[in-house]
Amino acid sequence: MMDLLLKIQESGFSQWVRESDSLFAFAGVLLLHTIGMGFVVGINACINVRILGFAPAVRLSALEKFLPVLWIGFWVNAVTGVILLAVDATQKFVNPVFYVKMVFIAAAIVNLRMVKNHVFRDPLIDKVPPSMKAKILALTSIVCWLGAITSGRLLAYIGGGATVK
Amino acid sequence: MNAPHIHLLLNHFPTVGFSIGLGLFVVAILGKKEVLKQASLVIFFMIAALSITTYVSGNDAQAEIKDQPGVSAPLIDAHESAALVAFIFMQATGFFSWIALWLQRRVSRVANWNLAVVLALSIVTFALMARAANIGGEIRHAEIQSAQETAETSTGPTLAKSWALFVQSNSWVWPTCETVHFIGLSMLFAVVLVVDLRMLGIGKRTLSFEALYQLLPLGMLGFTLNLITGIMFFVATPQQYTGFLFFLKMMLVVLGAVNVLYFMLLDDPWKVGEGDDASITTKLVAASAIVIWIAVLFCGHMLPFLGNSF
Repeated sequence: MMDLLLKIQESGFSQWVRESDSLFAFAGVLLLHTIGMGFVVGINACINVRILGFAPAVRLSALEKFLPVLWIGFWVNAVTGVILLAVDATQKFVNPVFYVKMVFIAAAIVNLRMVKNHVFRDPLIDKVPPSMKAKILALTSIVCWLGAITSGRLLAYIGGGATVK
Repeated sequence: MNAPHIHLLLNHFPTVGFSIGLGLFVVAILGKKEVLKQASLVIFFMIAALSITTYVSGNDAQAEIKDQPGVSAPLIDAHESAALVAFIFMQATGFFSWIALWLQRRVSRVANWNLAVVLALSIVTFALMARAANIGGEIRHAEIQSAQETAETSTGPTLAKSWALFVQSNSWVWPTCETVHFIGLSMLFAVVLVVDLRMLGIGKRTLSFEALYQLLPLGMLGFTLNLITGIMFFVATPQQYTGFLFFLKMMLVVLGAVNVLYFMLLDDPWKVGEGDDASITTKLVAASAIVIWIAVLFCGHMLPFLGNSF
């Protein structure tokens, strides 16, 4: 297993990303990862605070139109995330913080699907206030994303490897 | 134009600009003129934004002149401490001015508590800013240096140095502030994306600008978190934030402030109802907001790669 990780980490591409001075290498990949985070967590934050009762004039059904923006951010981060993982595979795969982050993100995505089914698919959306279940889902979504951001940030401080503080 | 020159140019905003705002604000309250209240609140908000560039340019100016003859290092420290306290009060004034401006449009008048808070903060800020400016003037003008103040400056570590020491000796502080900075960033992006993408056409069938206006405080809260944590980074390690890239970031933040005022003050976006297309001007301002905030993120992110951080 470690051999494979080392192979990935020492591949030509990984080396270039990690060691090149080009802004399109490590700096650029990490930049896209942060912008993507702003898109994913940002759109989620709007949906969640709206479900919780903030900005009541905004129609919940209208916020569904922004989900494609969220998914663009998500896939940008999936790709850049894999690259960031590859350049530092031997360190990240043994770092428990990395798995904590993955669990938070998986839970957040499952949570988003539940919000979609329970809130956006509800024929009474915008006609009745969000249910208690919807509000709990909004809260757990906020917790998951806060957890994902926190563990993601801590990856730069806990465990070694190619990183930037 | 060098760093001290830029600092000298910018330091007129928090002193001269702010006193004009304060004078106008007092007149507006006494004369019960809503439009003048709005004007002075805009001045407070914009001066607070511009003061960010003033404060950080002081850091570059210090780096450039500190070893020159005739420059008093203890006076620079005293000026920096006074400026930091004044700066914090200035930002609080700007924050409550923004809340007042937001409410003025939302519920068509500003609450008295809000005006009272802004008035109290602005008077304190004005006094603190005058003190900071006074000490700052003495740095290069030996003829107005008073012996008493020179003596005062040599007692104990400054507020900034105590904070720097605290951050150095507690390894959890920096990562915690970084995490909050990223959370604030996401909150700000939340509002920037939804409001500005709507102006560009996403979800326009069922979203009016008036409805989206209610979301703005979420973005302001995110910005405030980032301003607070940003000040914490800057004060802890000012040597990391000299140079063009960081200054550019701060100038872009000022542009971001101007940008949000367009949406808060002008009628053009306000008239965008459900199903309406925004005007071409509003679309351009909306698109520029997204560009500005991504550029702010870019400058911050690139500090370790292009600047002299870390």
